[in-house]
Amino acid sequence: MEVTEALTSKKQEILSVWIERTLDSYIAPGFFKSAKDPFANPVGSNITAGLTALFDLLVAKADLQACAKPLDQVVRIRAVQEFTPAQAVAPFLELKWVVKQVLSGDKATRPLLGKLDALDCDIDRMALTAFNIYSECREQLYRNRIRELKSGRALLTDAACPSALLRREQPGADATTEP
Amino acid sequence: MAVVKVDKLARSVAEGPSLMTGSIPTKNWMDVPAVFKPGNYAYPAKAEVIRYLDSQKGVSFPNAREWSPEDDDWKLPENWKEIILQGLADRLDRFRSLKIFMDCCVRCGACADKCHFFLGTGDPKNMPVLRAELLRSVYRKEFTRAGKILGRMVGGREMTVGVLKEWFMYAYQCTECRRCSVFCPYGIDTAEITMMLRELLHMVGVGINWAMEPVANSNRTGNHMGLTPQAFKGNVEFLCDDIENLTGIRVNPTFNRKGAEVLFITPSADVFAEPGIFTCMGYLLLFEAIGLDYTWSTYASEGGNFGLFTSNEMMKKLNGKMYAEAKRLGVRWILGGECGHMWRVLHQYMDTMNGPADFLEVPRSPITGTVFENAASTKMIHISEFTADLIKNNKIKLDKSRNAHVVPTFHDSCNPARAMGLLDEPRYILDNVVDNWFEMPPNTIREQTFCCGSGTALNTDEIMELRMRSGLPRANAVRYVHEKHGVNTLGCVCAIDRATLTTLMNYWVPEVQVAGLSELVGNALVIEGEQRQDLTEGLRTLV
Repeated sequence: MEVTEALTSKKQEILSVWIERTLDSYIAPGFFKSAKDPFANPVGSNITAGLTALFDLLVAKADLQACAKPLDQVVRIRAVQEFTPAQAVAPFLELKWVVKQVLSGDKATRPLLGKLDALDCDIDRMALTAFNIYSECREQLYRNRIRELKSGRALLTDAACPSALLRREQPGADATTEP
Repeated sequence: MAVVKVDKLARSVAEGPSLMTGSIPTKNWMDVPAVFKPGNYAYPAKAEVIRYLDSQKGVSFPNAREWSPEDDDWKLPENWKEIILQGLADRLDRFRSLKIFMDCCVRCGACADKCHFFLGTGDPKNMPVLRAELLRSVYRKEFTRAGKILGRMVGGREMTVGVLKEWFMYAYQCTECRRCSVFCPYGIDTAEITMMLRELLHMVGVGINWAMEPVANSNRTGNHMGLTPQAFKGNVEFLCDDIENLTGIRVNPTFNRKGAEVLFITPSADVFAEPGIFTCMGYLLLFEAIGLDYTWSTYASEGGNFGLFTSNEMMKKLNGKMYAEAKRLGVRWILGGECGHMWRVLHQYMDTMNGPADFLEVPRSPITGTVFENAASTKMIHISEFTADLIKNNKIKLDKSRNAHVVPTFHDSCNPARAMGLLDEPRYILDNVVDNWFEMPPNTIREQTFCCGSGTALNTDEIMELRMRSGLPRANAVRYVHEKHGVNTLGCVCAIDRATLTTLMNYWVPEVQVAGLSELVGNALVIEGEQRQDLTEGLRTLV
């Protein structure tokens, strides 16, 4: 049996463990795991869909560009949640452990454990691409901050009030009553 | 071939080596403290802002000081616990609804997975039932016999500094959008529990600047931005110049004109910041097209009422300003622009706070003759109601082809949808100003609409990540219609939405822009005598 064949036949088990482990990185993952409606459960369903698509692409040996969209689907969410950068992209590297775990549980696939170098390398590349996307997401957040500041809404706070400034310049005036 | 058992593997999920931090809860929620770090809290209100507000009539904001959520010591007043418990006792006495909400929850969990903060964070304390439990647990311990005797056994807990910090964390991870209430079989309004938490926190000087500075500005100059009357008028006139350049129509609005038939009040962001200014240009064009006898006020120059996110008294005062101005100017009724929470205050609180507004008349459209009986008490109607009525009676000419660049979907802004039932008028307007528009999935619109994630004064940049994750359920539905139907515009009727959804879309669905409905009306409007340029992007076209 070749690695690709084994991955195809074990797809359900691998995906099930991979998704479960990824969602377990949340404090209360029960709902994320169980709710199927993609609009009622955007975190669970996007992560499930993204990881499923990535696994198919890995098995099909697709190029990295094709992985960008499903990677984005997962990383864009984790980039704004309370994870460190490492935790945000860790799920992709975890796939290596999951594959080994599943293949070692079956006599027929156990001999393949020594032949996973190419797959491991593909997974590493995927994880590195995920880190690129993570960085892009973070940069987008900072651009958004700057855009909000430039839009004038920042005047909501720190707005200078001419009359208050004038009063402050007048000796003896009580400036504390004006924000 | 041996079959791998998923359940056996599931065990290894918890036991196997992992690169990720396993987060399966090991502690009771009461034992998990709130931890403040940069990015997960909004900045505290400036002491000078609080001091100013506390000096104002009719409101109380004591204990102004410099403090930081990250410090162990929040410099609370010595008798803080007494203040909080007395404050809670007063409110239980004053607000029957609060007493009922404290007692009647059966913890069925119907609300648990309906909150956009929970859906985006996975933090159980963002389940509305548990957020309310943060207060309810103290109520049980201090105000029920069972709780006094049995304490934690019946879900009661002591009021401690840790509990107070937890209140601050989660009262400001709720946008009071009331989606959870739609699903509560008892009709518990969790937003009102958040409101009470915020009120209690203000009693010990704990609040956020993004709420309190706009409140202070509104109290002083009449609008969030702190714009002086001259600046406010100047901004509107600047938009009139833009309109003239684009359409050849000169609009000459009046300000503080006594005896006008209608007073028009809209969020100040509409006269100041993109994309609200395009919505404002839509209002100005519409009123010009129908020859409405109306005036702006440079004092009631804000529809928004951040008092709603602050305290009952503050909300009452800021709402009262609109009516005081209507009285001073002697108008017949008030027309309100595309604002969100202004309408919640209007429909749910105004009548018992400042109403009924007997000195005004029941709004009657001077163009169609329609009498808006639904506003018989508040005397104030929404621009969408007014516009839909004009369209229905064929009083304005609309050319849909002028919106050819727009493929919209419609975001029901939380408060107009859930607090005033404004569901069909905006859709009717869309039907008449664009060729095609597409609804998002049913469980994300109308009464079940998802919040923008940044309401109730949470639209500040220091909590950008929090805003993005709580806005995910909304953005996720927008992305769906963008990918399926090529939607490129998110229409809405709320100024906070226009500001915050723009940022949300930039992050999640950058192909989609945000527009107020009145902007799309303004785009399509055909006005006699116009010399309109070729506006490929409607009122946003740079000429």
